[in-house]
Amino acid sequence: MTSRSYQEVEFGEDLPEVEVDVSLSNVTRFCHATGMLAGRFMNHEEAREEGLPQAIVPGIMSQGLLVSLVHRWAPGCGIRKIDTVFRAPVLVDSAPRCCGVVTDKDDDSRTVELDLTIVNEQGETRVLGTATVVL
Amino acid sequence: MILDLHNHSIKSDDGRAKVENYCQWIRKRGLPIDGFVLTEHRQFDAESDYRGLEDRTGLLILKGSEVETDYGHVLVFGVNSDMLAAFDFGRVDLSLERVLREVSRCGGVAVPCHPGRPRVGMCAHVEQRGAVEGVEIVETLNGGSRGRENQVAASLAERMGYRGVGGSDAHIVSHIGRCATRFEREIASIEDLVGALRAGGYEAVQWE
Repeated sequence: MTSRSYQEVEFGEDLPEVEVDVSLSNVTRFCHATGMLAGRFMNHEEAREEGLPQAIVPGIMSQGLLVSLVHRWAPGCGIRKIDTVFRAPVLVDSAPRCCGVVTDKDDDSRTVELDLTIVNEQGETRVLGTATVVL
Repeated sequence: MILDLHNHSIKSDDGRAKVENYCQWIRKRGLPIDGFVLTEHRQFDAESDYRGLEDRTGLLILKGSEVETDYGHVLVFGVNSDMLAAFDFGRVDLSLERVLREVSRCGGVAVPCHPGRPRVGMCAHVEQRGAVEGVEIVETLNGGSRGRENQVAASLAERMGYRGVGGSDAHIVSHIGRCATRFEREIASIEDLVGALRAGGYEAVQWE
């Protein structure tokens, strides 16, 4: 069951934005939980040695944060597909926001299409993607 | 007349937007644009026919391409069979000089896009290897730009005397209409657009 019905969702509806925690401690916890132990995710200095401006958030963590955005909006919904394009790194210890909006509805399958983005403090899109959600 | 000159649909490998949804989005959000151009990566979509969608939505939908050269990516307007035969749109190592020459010869207009972007933009290449003759217009406002990329592009245009256009570089529905080009004259076809780009009388515009 989902708390949102297909009928009540409108094209163009914004999902409530979420400011996500990508602090070094939180990202490090994620890395240990997933076994992604590369220094560029958990250590600013090691990231700089690889030519990055500072440590970066793992791509699958960014995707997970977007999944979380969808589930906050529609608890219990089924995410049939999520597809992300990584335009630029999401920096650890920054203050990015996860955003989403409804961009299509399919009455036959009762699915909605979402645009999903992660934007930084300057409003620049770092990650963009789409999801197909069953309500 | 305001047209968004740079957008990608699901025809592009990294595009995620259906053209119908672009139109729906523009109307739903009341965006102040009269139409847009689909500039698919490394190809020209000759098959798709959007006349019915134009009639239903009142939006002008034109088609161009975005090709890849040794000086970065370039928008091409006025694609025709002669142009498609003149060079391989699918290559990633085209010569900018050749693209400019052939597009012009075939009656089109070539516009280096996001020139301020590292690697895929023209500015860094100009700094390293010098300017290429034949550039008259560059994209000074790109909706996907980060940091100072648009400022770098505008500075180059001012220094070199290039005219500037704007485009969203949308790959998802909600990114269309972030940047566009305001024309003094009315445009109803790709021929009109090519003529307007050559003639001047336009400016790049942006909305937050």
